[in-house]
Amino acid sequence: MPLDWLTQDLLYLLLRGLLLTVVLTAATAGLALAVGVAAGTMRLSANRFVHGLAVVHVEIHRNMPALVLMIIWAFALPNLFPAEFRRGLFFDNAFLNWISGWSGLSLPYYTLAAGIALVLNTSAYLAELFRAGVGAIPQQHVDAARTLGASRLELFRRVLLPEGLRTAFPAISTRLIHHLKNTALAAFVATPEFFHSAQTAITRTFLALEFLLLAAVVYLLLAFAFSGLLRWVEKQWLAAGSRQTPLTTAHQTNE
Amino acid sequence: MNDHLSFLIEKLPILLFGFPGQRPGGLTLSLILAVVAVAVGFCLAMPVSSAERAGWRPLRWCAVAYVEVFRGLPLILLLVLVHQGLGGVRFGLNWSPRMSALVALILYSSAYQAEILRAGLSTVPVELVESARLMGSRPRQVYLLIKLRYALRVMLPAFTGQAISLFKDTSVVVVIGVAEVMTVARMALGADVTNARYWVTMYSFVGVLYFVIAFGLSRLSQRWEQRSRQPDLVHSFFSY
Repeated sequence: MPLDWLTQDLLYLLLRGLLLTVVLTAATAGLALAVGVAAGTMRLSANRFVHGLAVVHVEIHRNMPALVLMIIWAFALPNLFPAEFRRGLFFDNAFLNWISGWSGLSLPYYTLAAGIALVLNTSAYLAELFRAGVGAIPQQHVDAARTLGASRLELFRRVLLPEGLRTAFPAISTRLIHHLKNTALAAFVATPEFFHSAQTAITRTFLALEFLLLAAVVYLLLAFAFSGLLRWVEKQWLAAGSRQTPLTTAHQTNE
Repeated sequence: MNDHLSFLIEKLPILLFGFPGQRPGGLTLSLILAVVAVAVGFCLAMPVSSAERAGWRPLRWCAVAYVEVFRGLPLILLLVLVHQGLGGVRFGLNWSPRMSALVALILYSSAYQAEILRAGLSTVPVELVESARLMGSRPRQVYLLIKLRYALRVMLPAFTGQAISLFKDTSVVVVIGVAEVMTVARMALGADVTNARYWVTMYSFVGVLYFVIAFGLSRLSQRWEQRSRQPDLVHSFFSY
């Protein structure tokens, strides 16, 4: 049996890690997309303060390594507070106990901190991509929406958001796959995700090569599946977009 | 506030240049790792990207697999895999952490650069290559003087972006204990409890160091692109 080093409790450990990796990736990617679109839109604003806020966010979080951001949030931030508050704020309060209650994480703050750092880092990249996507929208579309009397919210919701995302989607999906790989960095700040559980398995069995190769295969499959999912989303989206435009026009002229 | 500043000033030399016994270290080592990985990675990317466009299928599949594998793995995993797996005692190599880090970074950056180069090579106009051949250029001349030159120009923003990104990624080598700036910061803080209040200062400062270099380089490359774009590509194509 070639896989007899993979005992049942180790498999269980790895599967738990895999689940956390998938959940962490999904949650942080979704949040990062929302924050990124918001920041990208804020960068287009004429208001200097709003614009500056977005620029600062993007430049800081794009030019610092994700690992540094994670360590600052996870390890450095709690040290800012005196010992008597630290425990209550970061490790033992009702909210964190509630999280560890249903998720089974023993120290949920580290996972949260890693998630925050990941969201900040990826959203900075996504903001730039979304801004570039909006920049590529033909001026006529924006003019047409304005002529038809669209409010600013409608202009954003019906033109800038769908068309900007659609144009930027190939670049966004590349970045999101990179984001999936970046979640492995969370292992460094004591988040028990897949790479961390693989390392735990290695310290228990001393079978470094076996578990690392297994982890490599799993990450490749994850990246493959994720890119397939993103391609599917893109296809659905593009098809819906191209179908929608002539239909709504025909509908409106008929009325 | 004052003690935070004096703590940083006290640790600044080792952050920049590493611990006295093992220089180069610190930020210098981060830069060296990034530069070597980009340079050697580019040398590897040239044959790989050509193999990706080769006519013989097995060769093409190998090249595609190379790129997909090293681009698809998280760098942190690749580093540990190279250090404990490939370069470990099992194969009798017993690489130092520094060597393993360099190998992993080279593999990682070569895969990314091969992908960029492939995209660049596919934009080279056929007419350009054919006219060079008609003029009697040898294949090596066509590759170096026409294809590579054109691809580099078109893909310059992607290459500089990748290099800057790789510089930031060198922070990950802390997992195998290479004495670059992250590891130095970690060791300078140590396990001393009285240092706990310096943690934020220290890591923010490390973040600022990365920020200054990455931001500066990206601004510099933007300027460079603007300057090199002035003689337009189409123009250089016709007046070649």
